[in-house]
Amino acid sequence: MRKKSILALVLAGCLAGLSLTGCSSKVNSSDVGNDSSNTPEGKTKLKAIIVKHSLTKDVTQMKWLAEIEEKANVEIEWQQISADWDQKKSALFASGEIPDLLFNATSNSDFVQFNGLFEDLGPLIEKDAPNIQKMFSEHPELKTLATQIDGKLYGTPRYKGIWPGSTASMFINKTWLDNLGLQVPTNWDELETVLLAFRDGDPNQNGDKTDEIPMDFNPIGWDFTPKLLLGSLGLPLSNGASDGYFTEGAQVKNFYVDERFKTLMQFLQKLYSQNLISKEVVTQDYSKYQSVARGNGATAKVGFTWGWETGDRFGNELKDQYVTLPQLKQHADSRDELYWSNDYYYQNYGSNAVSVSARSKNKEAAMRFIDGFYEPVVSLQVLFGGMNDTDKGIKDNGDGTYAILPPADASLDPGSWKWTNSFADNGPMYIADALKDKVTLGSDMQNVLKEKAVYDELLNKADEKSNVYPQNFMKYSTEDTNTLAMNQANVNNITDQKWATWLTTKVDIEKEWAAYVASVNSSGLEQNLQIRQKAYDEYLSTLK
Amino acid sequence: MVLPAVIYIAIFCYGPMYGIQLAFREFDFSKGLTGGEWAGLKYFEQYFNSPMFWPTLRNTFIIAFFSILLGFPMPILLALVVNSIRSNRRKRILQTTVYMPYFISTVVLVALLQIMLSPTTGLIDGFLKALHLIPADTNLIGDPGAFVPVYVISAIWQACGWNSIIFIAALSSVDAQQYDAARIDGANRWQTVWHVEIPAILPTIIILLIMNMGSILSVGFEKTFLMQNSLNKPVSEVISTYVFNVGVKSNQFSFGSAVGLFNTLINFTFLMLANALAKKTSKISLM
Repeated sequence: MRKKSILALVLAGCLAGLSLTGCSSKVNSSDVGNDSSNTPEGKTKLKAIIVKHSLTKDVTQMKWLAEIEEKANVEIEWQQISADWDQKKSALFASGEIPDLLFNATSNSDFVQFNGLFEDLGPLIEKDAPNIQKMFSEHPELKTLATQIDGKLYGTPRYKGIWPGSTASMFINKTWLDNLGLQVPTNWDELETVLLAFRDGDPNQNGDKTDEIPMDFNPIGWDFTPKLLLGSLGLPLSNGASDGYFTEGAQVKNFYVDERFKTLMQFLQKLYSQNLISKEVVTQDYSKYQSVARGNGATAKVGFTWGWETGDRFGNELKDQYVTLPQLKQHADSRDELYWSNDYYYQNYGSNAVSVSARSKNKEAAMRFIDGFYEPVVSLQVLFGGMNDTDKGIKDNGDGTYAILPPADASLDPGSWKWTNSFADNGPMYIADALKDKVTLGSDMQNVLKEKAVYDELLNKADEKSNVYPQNFMKYSTEDTNTLAMNQANVNNITDQKWATWLTTKVDIEKEWAAYVASVNSSGLEQNLQIRQKAYDEYLSTLK
Repeated sequence: MVLPAVIYIAIFCYGPMYGIQLAFREFDFSKGLTGGEWAGLKYFEQYFNSPMFWPTLRNTFIIAFFSILLGFPMPILLALVVNSIRSNRRKRILQTTVYMPYFISTVVLVALLQIMLSPTTGLIDGFLKALHLIPADTNLIGDPGAFVPVYVISAIWQACGWNSIIFIAALSSVDAQQYDAARIDGANRWQTVWHVEIPAILPTIIILLIMNMGSILSVGFEKTFLMQNSLNKPVSEVISTYVFNVGVKSNQFSFGSAVGLFNTLINFTFLMLANALAKKTSKISLM
């Protein structure tokens, strides 16, 4: 009898367990989103998530943001995330319970994978968003950028227009060159000679011949890497060339399987074997990469490297030692067309600044709030910090012109200040072209534009319709998105480890090349190139 | 009395297993975990045919194999050493010192490794090079050949003390009369260890070994992932990191589930094999 009753209880327990777990397979639509919609003062309450830079301060302390909330008559409850969003978002999205507003948190592939989770903003924009409408009428390509393959618009785009056309610059330590009586190199051979001199001499003149690092860079796939030297060989990179993709003569290609990449790796291998490249080039993280170049007090440690701007890369004390190096030729007598990565779209156009949950109960209010960001003068504050005494980001000159203020915190450089003080590049924004000439930029941006001027000629040469590949404008179907992702994971596995091995060992690249290319192609690169070509052709047909 | 445990297991261990269906279905967000179309073995085939199948399987095996081969006997040795210390005070100090590292989180541990083994400024790296134990151009955090030793040795350093606790407990139950008898028979220290202490803890050793076999392929995801870089990727991409890279980061949930399920099946096979072997040879087993 006793045994039987225990058995019955166990069975009951199992059933209870099953029924409990069963719930999670249905998404319960009634109890998600926000339920109490209004505050006592009659404002609409909304929940928002923002993926922000790790430097960015608590967004609730930004006065310009409070002003937008005030104007849109909403009260936002912020959830702020500054690390590992890529890893967190799958779980959050799969749960189906997302906040009303998502700032800088979504990508095109999310809209495909989590179909039905996000609201189509197209109709809402037409109804409630005059600023965004104005942005679309002035820059129709932004609407193209934001519209998905199904004709819907799940995330609003961002537009800056005042950023330079290239992400990275190439820097060399002029003081070291002068100390050793050397000229600025103009081709790879001269560069090698200079690096050897950096290694053997004592260019920073501190009496220690071993503390100089002749050359330093990031892993090849990132920004600030020697992949930019592919431009010496006539390979036109563009828009960050993420995962190695670029276009040449309207053909989508991948530099990881390009003969010119082999030539570059052979050159880098030669430099590495002569001890001219930092030993930690593959294993260091970005913060170490940054800190090494900032040297030791007034003693520089790095001779030749890549970065965004001298102040950001080398710190205030050392920045004057470095000069921007124009693109190098391979040899003095090389005939290859020179290129520099054309990153204009990548720098100035962004997609998916804000998305809205399809289950939000106050979409009109959400859209009102979003539209507030796109008023051009407000956008300026999103980017550089508020125009008021609390935020101390921008000065309103009163005559329709504005000046970006230097950091209120003297210990920060202007770039770090901008990232601390506002949403910066991660915010939703529309800096109207008419406003551009009325803004006096901060010293860092003025410096960036000045430093990067050496690349202007090469950048202007890139043909918009055949040699520039704006990856963020490309749209793919669900099936294609999945195929691209699977294949890319396999391809990256090979390319990632191969360049590192080639660089740091003495294996014969020439001998391994054919087998390597074959394995990358068969891991899915060929298929990915076909899919991307299809999307690129479609994009080209919309240009004109 | 057993009822709460049964209910707990049913709800939290068996219940969620319905989720493995995902490995055989097309994941459809709007329909939930169990709502997608059946895909049969499509995702398993995709993994078996993928160029990453052999490398991930091999890497997982190698790391797991060396972790057990070197990591399993160390706590036993340590327990025997601790047990042989007569002074209670010294015993406590030693025990506390060796089990403390267990409480360091993986993230901190890997950061420590990265600082200590840095080829330019690393303390341990510099020490080993000064003694000519490793060639001067070795990069311990990048070199594919160094990945497994660094992984295994740091794991031993971290977990050895903690894992020895169970053996120390087992040793404390050895009857004092057996020690006396051994002494009267003229056994020296080594003979006591061999003929009294080891047989006394043998059942514990075998049961723990069987249980460890069950997780042979569950190579610690966190540590492997954190230690991974472009240079050591040929040996550090294991099944769990691959599942993460493809399944979670690229939103391929069904594929990820299939690979994860495959991993579990292999674990299960190993567990059963080890158990059968132990049963046959020593009559000690879990089931």
